[in-house]
Amino acid sequence: MAEISEAHDSDSSKSTDNASEAPTQPESEPEFNPKLMRKTKPGLKRLFLTFSVLFSFLLGLQFLWKSVEIYRSPLPFREIDSLSTQLGSDHLIFPLHFHALFVGFDSDPDRLRLSILSEITKLTSQNPKCSHNYTLSVTVDSGSHCLHSPTTSPHSCSYQCGSITAIDFDQNDDVAIDERLVPVFGGKTNEYSVVVVKGESERAVVGKNRRAWVVVGSGREVEIAVVKVAEVLVKVFVNGGREEGSIRNEFMPVGADGRIVLSFNLLNADPRDWVYDWDFRKIDNNLLAPMIEALGPVANISVESQVLYHTPKASFSYWDQQLQSYVFSTKDLPFFVNSNEWHLDTSIAAGGRSKILQFVVYVPSAKECPLLLQLPNGEISNTNGFISPMWGGVIVWNPQGCLKDDNKPTARRTIPMQDLENMFEVFTGQFRQLFGFKSVNIYAGASGVWNLLPSERGFTEWELDVLSRQHTCFNLHSCASTLGSLSRLVQSLPRMIIMDEIGKQVKFSLEAAKLAQSNASNGVYESSAASSRQARSLAEDAFFHPSIMSVSYYSFEHCFAVYSL
Amino acid sequence: MALLQRPFFVLLLVLTHQFMQYWIAFGSVNEEGQKQEEEFNEELLLKPLPDRKVLAHFHFQSSAPPSTSNGRHHHIFPKAISQLVQKFRVKEMELSFTQGRWNYESWGGFDPIPSSNAKPPGVELWAVFDVPQHQIDASWQNLTHTLSGLFCASINFLESTTTYSAPEWSFPPASGNLRYGTLPREAVCTENLTPWLKLLPCRDKAGIAVLLDRPSIYRGFYHSQRLHLTSTGSGSEGMVSGIILEQTLTVVLQPNSQRAGMAYASERHIQPSWSLTSIFGKQVSGTCVLAKSSNVYLLLDRGLVAELEHLHKENEKSAENGFTSQNFWTKPSFELSADPDRIFIEENSLHSKGSSVLYKFQVEKYSESEPFDLSLTWKIPVVWLSQQAPLHASRFLMGSGNERGAIAISLKSTQLSEGFMGANADDERCDLQVNVFQVVPWYVKVYFHSLQVFVNQQPKAISDIIEKIHVSPSKDKVSPGVMEMVLKLPCKVNSAALTIEFDKGFLHIDEYPPDANQGFDIPSAIISFPNFHASMIFLKDDSVNKSPLLSKFQEKSPVMSYTEALLVPLTTPDFSMPYNVITITCTVFALYFGSLLNVLRRRVAEEERFLKEKAAKKTGRLSLLLSKLSAKLRGRQWEPPSSPPASSSFINAKLVFKVILVAGLAVGWQYFFS
Repeated sequence: MAEISEAHDSDSSKSTDNASEAPTQPESEPEFNPKLMRKTKPGLKRLFLTFSVLFSFLLGLQFLWKSVEIYRSPLPFREIDSLSTQLGSDHLIFPLHFHALFVGFDSDPDRLRLSILSEITKLTSQNPKCSHNYTLSVTVDSGSHCLHSPTTSPHSCSYQCGSITAIDFDQNDDVAIDERLVPVFGGKTNEYSVVVVKGESERAVVGKNRRAWVVVGSGREVEIAVVKVAEVLVKVFVNGGREEGSIRNEFMPVGADGRIVLSFNLLNADPRDWVYDWDFRKIDNNLLAPMIEALGPVANISVESQVLYHTPKASFSYWDQQLQSYVFSTKDLPFFVNSNEWHLDTSIAAGGRSKILQFVVYVPSAKECPLLLQLPNGEISNTNGFISPMWGGVIVWNPQGCLKDDNKPTARRTIPMQDLENMFEVFTGQFRQLFGFKSVNIYAGASGVWNLLPSERGFTEWELDVLSRQHTCFNLHSCASTLGSLSRLVQSLPRMIIMDEIGKQVKFSLEAAKLAQSNASNGVYESSAASSRQARSLAEDAFFHPSIMSVSYYSFEHCFAVYSL
Repeated sequence: MALLQRPFFVLLLVLTHQFMQYWIAFGSVNEEGQKQEEEFNEELLLKPLPDRKVLAHFHFQSSAPPSTSNGRHHHIFPKAISQLVQKFRVKEMELSFTQGRWNYESWGGFDPIPSSNAKPPGVELWAVFDVPQHQIDASWQNLTHTLSGLFCASINFLESTTTYSAPEWSFPPASGNLRYGTLPREAVCTENLTPWLKLLPCRDKAGIAVLLDRPSIYRGFYHSQRLHLTSTGSGSEGMVSGIILEQTLTVVLQPNSQRAGMAYASERHIQPSWSLTSIFGKQVSGTCVLAKSSNVYLLLDRGLVAELEHLHKENEKSAENGFTSQNFWTKPSFELSADPDRIFIEENSLHSKGSSVLYKFQVEKYSESEPFDLSLTWKIPVVWLSQQAPLHASRFLMGSGNERGAIAISLKSTQLSEGFMGANADDERCDLQVNVFQVVPWYVKVYFHSLQVFVNQQPKAISDIIEKIHVSPSKDKVSPGVMEMVLKLPCKVNSAALTIEFDKGFLHIDEYPPDANQGFDIPSAIISFPNFHASMIFLKDDSVNKSPLLSKFQEKSPVMSYTEALLVPLTTPDFSMPYNVITITCTVFALYFGSLLNVLRRRVAEEERFLKEKAAKKTGRLSLLLSKLSAKLRGRQWEPPSSPPASSSFINAKLVFKVILVAGLAVGWQYFFS
């Protein structure tokens, strides 16, 4: 096209040249001598000549066009658009099945069901991105017979009438009750059940699996029970017991390739005072491995550790006479991490877009020992640690008695196993906080306090469900927006080379996203989380493909100079 | 930032049976692992050089024993290096950053230090991989990128197949899985040193590394920072192999002369006295607490010791005192500020020249209140020469012009080494074996048939001298040319030379580096003498075996030296060429269309006739003026025009219309493409 325009230019410049010599123009001359004028019109010869020149030019143009042509792999733009509109307009809907079991009651199950449903609607806040499609079934077990509502619910049939009684809940061992409830509702169902019984000691407990139970005292038990059941279903089982706006859902500490590297660092601020070492391998095998396995569907987690020396902190602490220790306050925390001296390197073993969470144990030097963290209210922190969202966590560990062994200062000592275990309990709490969960095992709702049973894996089953759902939702949206950006970029730059590999990655990403969507709507959370992770990582790979970056700038003048390609 | 209220996590007390088994299994591994722990040693070797300079050789060694968790959990060993070894399956690797050239003539070429620590300028990297043959190149390319990120250097340029080669047998640790590449032009500075120091447990915060004061070491004459890692075989099934990481820094510094006022002639012979403070500007105030051993050595080489003994003898002659080496070394001709903890004398069986002496100082004895500052004061003037490699190698370019040239490698016998070479010189069939390894970039197109050999300035048949040769010719833009040779020279050779001719190739415009006019570097050739071993054997002792530096000295490694890097000027194009091409293309298009339209539109014969006709007629005043003006502008003789006056206004309107048309087109063009 450039050549044509060029032709125009030269043509017009030619004609202006002629115009400047206008007096010599033979056309439109009134005094033109008709005797000397050629009478015949331009013949076929000239027409033929003109067309042959034009034709040869057009022929040449094709060669030129071919020589500056670039390769663009076809991308499924329409499917990308449909994915983002699908996710944008009708939300990703996760089906949830709730089951409320009233033991020892003789109310009408239909009435109970309706009142619970109305409570649930009151509590549910609409998430703009992902919503849940819940079904509720209520069973009333009056001891002799059971009443179901709705009567033909496919999910309530797993409960054998009369298999639990109020006596089961008299004991105070909540863990045992939780174990007792597992066979009652069938081992591996995805429904969330709440059991309501009458009893003396009023309490509300959420178990490790997808079960909760409420013991209500006599009086207005049904009304209280309905409110409590609705709350535990919506606030705990669906939202994970987190407060609104504590850590936003977007802060998912998972890398774009679905991997997390937990990098544990033991920092000896001044090894001339004392050198501490740890037996990390034992910790890794005993404490971290179950948690990593539990989080398998959400992220692929690997663990590394190192010990660093000569790593002072960057903030100051002051001596507190009353506490007989050095104190640093919460307002110093932004300066605690000393990025100049703490060379917590990124991991070579991890891929380029993995998320690295740094967990740091800081052993203070003798001249600032013991070092304590003061909370804004003046109290001393129990854990002596803090987290920084998306970065990791820090714990200050003070050696026993802060005694410097002057005889053998260079001897390497090992942190006692008991202290290490305490430390890793705190780290597990910090890790949960980074994922947005609470580090305490109590949920204080509007209707009362719920006791949450902790899991030895760090995350309970219903918490993992929440994570999987949230993760699927986040990944699918992120995947759709990445692919959308890619398609906009590709369409806006018509001279950009697109490799076949990018086309393939986009295709696979779309396939994985579709699979995740269908799994999510069938309620298979784990595999939907896994395939959504794959979809996102493929989309990111396509977007950050090195070949895109190299040709995103291509000046138009290069069309003229056929010196490369 | 949320704070934890109370411990949340309840430790799992009920362990399943299977879990118990794991516990026991790991417990037993731990017990095995306890035997060997990660270690770190720091050492410094100081050596006076004949040309009034001082060599400082820092040697840090970290080692990780074979274990199940290498690459994941580390206590002293740098995690980054361990992960690198695991990820790329590196069996052995060496990376060196060098500034300046090792002066083989005056600083020696036979000791273990020049032999393994004198490196070519810029970056040199070689690695042996433990992967199948077809994966080696991919591993190498990934390794270069990782190292480039780790050391803040442009090592990633070694990724391209044109920059690295695979020596078959002439490079000492040769095996099929070796890759070798150099970047002669890489500038080395503190940004490379800082990541290198990060690999040490104490960095430069404590221990001997405190001496690494950046301004002092970069002011030196030679600076070479090296990282060598070897993965040792894995102990048993399932264990990841152990790694030995050796980090050395070799600097040649000029001590500030304390007798600056003295006349030049007399000063020449007196070696400058120096101390750690005067050469580094710092003192050692204690060890790195993590180091297993922390020692400083002072080495007096064979030549110096022989000279001192000679001087001592002359002095003592009058007194007729038979001296023993014990006496001698306690009353030397120089003074040390600190008493050495031990003196090692080299076991000398081969060399008649004398044996080198090593003073050992333990840094552990010193503290912050009493820092270690070794100083050496000469009492008498001494002149000595360092021990040379059997042949001194140098390489230069021949020929002129931008078309062709020749590379010559000249080997000159070092007179000093005649002594020990003479031992077998009487033998008729005495041969001196020399290995030559040379890599040339593809744009230097070497004609291997033009190889010529001269011995004692006489041309010799190639087959007489070259025992073995391996050549892999370069492929344009794919691989460099590699030449490996084994030369058998007679022992009494005075000089030998190899010449080979080449043509200079042309590069594609985007293959030129930013400063193309500077010229292109040909990497250093490696000359090694497999029959000569650079090793120093000290009296067998436990303390020698414990020191990594001294045990390194005892290893039998062949004597090696690097030649100069060559600078070849290539024809450089005019780099504004693409724009010239654009201009020419546009001009050609304009000419084509312009003339085509002219040919199609204008009727030359008609016009001529018409002009003649017009000349006969009278013209108006305005057009007269116009034609006069245009004639002036064209510098032609004015001819009375014959244009009719009536047409002028009409023509002007047409002109305006055409100008507007062109402007409109231009605006349209701009609008469409912006």
